Amino acid sequence: MTLTETTRERAGTLFRQHGALVVLGVLVVAGTLAFDTFLTPANLTNIATASSFLAIIAIGMTFVIISGGIDLSVGSLFVLGGVLAAYGSQYGTLAALALPLAVCGLFGLVQGVIIARTGMAPFIVTLAGLLAARGLMLSLTGEGATTYLVEDETFAAIGQGSPAGIGYPVFVTVAVLAVAAVFLQRTGFGQNVYAIGGNEDAAALMGVPVSRTKIIVYLVSGLLAGLSGALNAARLSSGVTILGIGLELDVIAAVVIGGTLLTGGAGGLTGTIAGALLLGVIQNLINQAGGLTSAFQQVVSGAFLAAVVIVHRFLSRRAAP
Amino acid sequence: MRAALVLAAAAVVLTGCAKAEAPTATANPADAQAQQQVVKSPSAPAGGGCTIAQHGSPKFDLKSAVVGFSQSEKEANPFRIAETKSIKDEAAKLGIANLKVTNAQSQFSKQISDVQQLIAQGAQLLVIAPLNSDGWEPVLQQAAAKKVPIITIDRKINARHCADYVTFIGSDFTEQGRRAADQMIEALGGKGKVAILLGAPGNNVTTERTNGFKEQIAAKAPDIEITFEQTGEFTREKGQQVTEQLIQSNPDIDGIYAENDEMALGAVTALKGAGKKPGDVKIVSIDGTRGAVQGIVDGWIYAVIESNPRFGQLAFATAQKFLDGEPIPEKVIIEDREYDSANAKDSLGQAY
Repeated sequence: MTLTETTRERAGTLFRQHGALVVLGVLVVAGTLAFDTFLTPANLTNIATASSFLAIIAIGMTFVIISGGIDLSVGSLFVLGGVLAAYGSQYGTLAALALPLAVCGLFGLVQGVIIARTGMAPFIVTLAGLLAARGLMLSLTGEGATTYLVEDETFAAIGQGSPAGIGYPVFVTVAVLAVAAVFLQRTGFGQNVYAIGGNEDAAALMGVPVSRTKIIVYLVSGLLAGLSGALNAARLSSGVTILGIGLELDVIAAVVIGGTLLTGGAGGLTGTIAGALLLGVIQNLINQAGGLTSAFQQVVSGAFLAAVVIVHRFLSRRAAP
Repeated sequence: MRAALVLAAAAVVLTGCAKAEAPTATANPADAQAQQQVVKSPSAPAGGGCTIAQHGSPKFDLKSAVVGFSQSEKEANPFRIAETKSIKDEAAKLGIANLKVTNAQSQFSKQISDVQQLIAQGAQLLVIAPLNSDGWEPVLQQAAAKKVPIITIDRKINARHCADYVTFIGSDFTEQGRRAADQMIEALGGKGKVAILLGAPGNNVTTERTNGFKEQIAAKAPDIEITFEQTGEFTREKGQQVTEQLIQSNPDIDGIYAENDEMALGAVTALKGAGKKPGDVKIVSIDGTRGAVQGIVDGWIYAVIESNPRFGQLAFATAQKFLDGEPIPEKVIIEDREYDSANAKDSLGQAY
């Protein structure tokens, strides 16, 4: 950002940062006016709880994308985390949480090390991670035929309890968001993430620990995907094996709609949360409308994603030198 | 370059929407009655059924009630098209004005939030075609809190009868597997190598169709060897892909048991591609879609065991019985027909 920022650039930045939030607001108002079953506590808490699993993963993905990378393994780590949590629950609450975090964290760590140390493209490394994690999940469950049930009551309560009508997953999301926001905006680590996403070579020359930062970013992404999977298993009381296919694309969509640039170097977490909620609200509104088939949800989400990218492009295009 | 990636991602999201197959018109209105599901067992509700008093649901008039129907898979295969149509048609026939239909597009997380939303929208009766048998806890809790009766169709939910759901209406999938095995034994003369195209993992349909088939083969035709098993996930393209691999790795295969018609039709395409002639490999499948019955007429498929998707009439009749205070059994098992070369041509009109 320079001092000679043009109006258009400023408008671009504003749109990028708050566009999703504005559209979310517009949709909520429209939904309230159009359907009397939209703005009810039950419906809103359903949207919030259902969106929280996507949001937790999207928080990790925001770090990855700001650093200029991509993590395609999160959908597989989500389902693997769920299966491991359900499997681990027979050994108690701690095992149910520790097992998915350890394994998914390890996946993230290994991917990060490979990306940082060999310079291989994150797209390919995490695509390999996607396949490996799903393969591991299938081998644990007899090709998906075995569904482990959550045996531990305390663990199940983490997913199912809802103090004041709001599910624990929502509280977990808020807590993760708060911690992540502090790290991203208030620490040297956060600055490093932005720096290597903006210009990796320049960042390296300035003494930013590029490798270490990248490794941490993929580790965090893996951990959060595992956490989200574990929470979801607690909510469903079982390690459902058919989840998470294509979830990474929804997560990337939420992050990009939220204003984080896929080219890295710019973006933020509030936009990501707005993006995740936006996908949930679009789905809810299309169900409310009833007559539309749910294929429309994908059309609308896809069209919205395309619109966001086009507007970004248009508003942030610099004057020709 | 990354911009291209976004576009690629957007394209994936966009093309994700189902390319719905146009439902074929019913050939003969006189067949309409014959196509409806018939209850096989139990003919009279056995003791220990679930009554509305035990369940705790308030009584309501079905016509003016809000009824939610949650479909599991994309309506890209004939079974799902026929199933949803049957529910909608029957609701229209009974004058149920407020039927809300959702489709989870094969995403389980979406199905959970779909049904939760139906409950939040005030659904008084839920008809669910579950994508997966486990993982329904959040829905069951909310439904129990509001005393909303749940009827599951075509697949089961692993939960407690009456406390969690009123009844399951569907076929006896183990029996379908056994009948498919009988057809296979007949086709091969009791001897040969057979491959199984398994359905999607994680639900009772696949497990039971597999178990029934294997039990019957083991009991009646020990000379038939099952040499290959691989999931085709109930889809045509996966069925084709797996069969292509099968022909490469086991060229001497004599029969293929496909756990649904879509996979069987994929297998037919793969066999054609490999230069096989109709009847070289005996295919037996389950469902009774028009494409598969046509496959029997054309000589590619040996036999099809029906799995009737027309749940509408039986589902709402069961709901009405429940509201009238009759005890409802845990399972309502429907009767399925079978198609082979003897009746396929004449029965095309009854296939869906």
